[in-house]
Amino acid sequence: MTRTLAIAHNTLREVARERVVLVLALFGLMLLIGSQVLSPLALGEGRKVVIDFGLAGSSLLATLLCVFLGSSLLHQELERRTVYAVLAKPIRREEFLVGKFLGLWVTAAMLLAGMAVILLAVVTVAYHDTPWQVLGAVGLNLIELGIVTAVVVLFSSFTTPALTAFFAVAATVAGHFAEDLRYFASQGAPALRAMAEGAYWVLPHLDLFNARGLVVHGASVGMERILYAFSYGLLYVIGMLILAGAIFRRREFR
Amino acid sequence: MSQERDGSRGRPSWMAGVKPGHSLTEVQPLSLLRLESVVKTYRDPMTLRPFTAVDGVSLTLERGEIFGLLGPNGAGKTSTIKMILGLTRPTRGLIRIEGRDPWDPDARRKLGYLPENPCFYDHLNAMEYLELVGSLFGIRAKTRRARAEALLQRLGLSAHARKPLRKFSKGMTQRVGIAQALLNEPNFLVLDEPMSGLDPIGRSDVKQLLREERERGTTILMTSHVLAETESLCDRVAILHAGRVLEVGTVKGLLSSVVEWEIGLESLPADRALALRAQGHRADAVGARWVVRVGSESALQGILRELVGAGIKIDSVEPRRESLEDHFVRALGASREGRR
Repeated sequence: MTRTLAIAHNTLREVARERVVLVLALFGLMLLIGSQVLSPLALGEGRKVVIDFGLAGSSLLATLLCVFLGSSLLHQELERRTVYAVLAKPIRREEFLVGKFLGLWVTAAMLLAGMAVILLAVVTVAYHDTPWQVLGAVGLNLIELGIVTAVVVLFSSFTTPALTAFFAVAATVAGHFAEDLRYFASQGAPALRAMAEGAYWVLPHLDLFNARGLVVHGASVGMERILYAFSYGLLYVIGMLILAGAIFRRREFR
Repeated sequence: MSQERDGSRGRPSWMAGVKPGHSLTEVQPLSLLRLESVVKTYRDPMTLRPFTAVDGVSLTLERGEIFGLLGPNGAGKTSTIKMILGLTRPTRGLIRIEGRDPWDPDARRKLGYLPENPCFYDHLNAMEYLELVGSLFGIRAKTRRARAEALLQRLGLSAHARKPLRKFSKGMTQRVGIAQALLNEPNFLVLDEPMSGLDPIGRSDVKQLLREERERGTTILMTSHVLAETESLCDRVAILHAGRVLEVGTVKGLLSSVVEWEIGLESLPADRALALRAQGHRADAVGARWVVRVGSESALQGILRELVGAGIKIDSVEPRRESLEDHFVRALGASREGRR
């Protein structure tokens, strides 16, 4: 565990020192403050617009961070050959991979959490009321980020940064429409239906983690949903990391 | 339990009553590193044609020796090292570090490795990197900090401990590489070109450090292109070519043959020098002296008789042995000839 945490800590420091993280954080801040400009147009629904805009924006930025920084993380290690000195130490390749996953996820989670704090502050100052239910949506979003990070780690364990980013974005977008995909395919030919059914079970069911609609209307995310989402997310992440570990273990460092 | 040894026979005293050849036999200590008929074949990713980088290498490293792995570029040195470290798997054959498969992380617990042209995380400084390495070895925070400070001091990097690694010169990076390889107090050091990028003082310092490590009982496997340094440092060497071991042995053993004899003279008349040259020997003025170089011992006896007979004073007669570089070039030449 110490070794995994050491890799995670190093990854966090590596990612956090990238300028793009600062750019994303500043962009998020501007987005949250900028949403205030739009709120008068919402005819008394400004608070809802700010929360919706804020949650969607922070989720998008944290996902972008995961995908675009994460996709080159392993590749850089191989290209700069930093990985040789590390894997010659008494560390299992799976531990290395899990460390990379944790470091990337924690960095993205910190960005998301930071933006959530700013969102709470902006709404509190503007509307004299703190929307604590936002925390439930952010919690679900953190689990979703874990899944996206695990997908990035899986693809980066065997393919190039560009393909990793492509597959991760594709899986994330398709994951948000997994239910719709299954529904539309059920209207088609049997072969298509079987394929869509297969894709439905393989793709992450990311819609499960989207509670923006609920929170915007002032409702809280139920504990039952959080527990279900957490269990599903945990199992999905473990599955992805086991697969990534099995691939990475076979990899030869020439 | 202490085991007193019967020094005269090299057996523990509790075996004194047991006749040799009895069913109780002494167990030989495990070799530190054992490679048996190791083959590594890669496939070209485009054509899928196989390429054999290591072709049946068998080697054994004993404790406390410095072993040099020599060979031209593409001889299979780095491929062999990567298999020893568990970075790649042998296609065939067996590798054991103290009886363990290198793939097992425990086999690497007391192993230190310096990669060729090392490259470390440039977002860290030297101290942070050594802290990371210490964590990977599971060394306690206080101990790893103390060891890191001592090593940085030993390698002349104390003043640069907090400087980002991206600002380090090649020589400084090499020294950080050596520091990280020594952090876990290894009993087995694998050094790929340890002298690369170092200035003469740095090389001398590292040579001294490696000798100290050998004194401590550390086994060192190193590759180097600087053969003069390998010769002065290594106890044994193996010469690799095209993935195969051409020769393996002690440096003294490999270089025992005399290539020529040097006769030092105070003076040599011009006609005598010409006569020696005509016989195929070399006679050169070196400062105020003359040196005659003779290729064989039988010719040496005849020339010595002639010179003494002519009243020429002989200062010295010394055998000149082959250098490791000469031997290396000769061994490779013979191998290439044999393959044609």
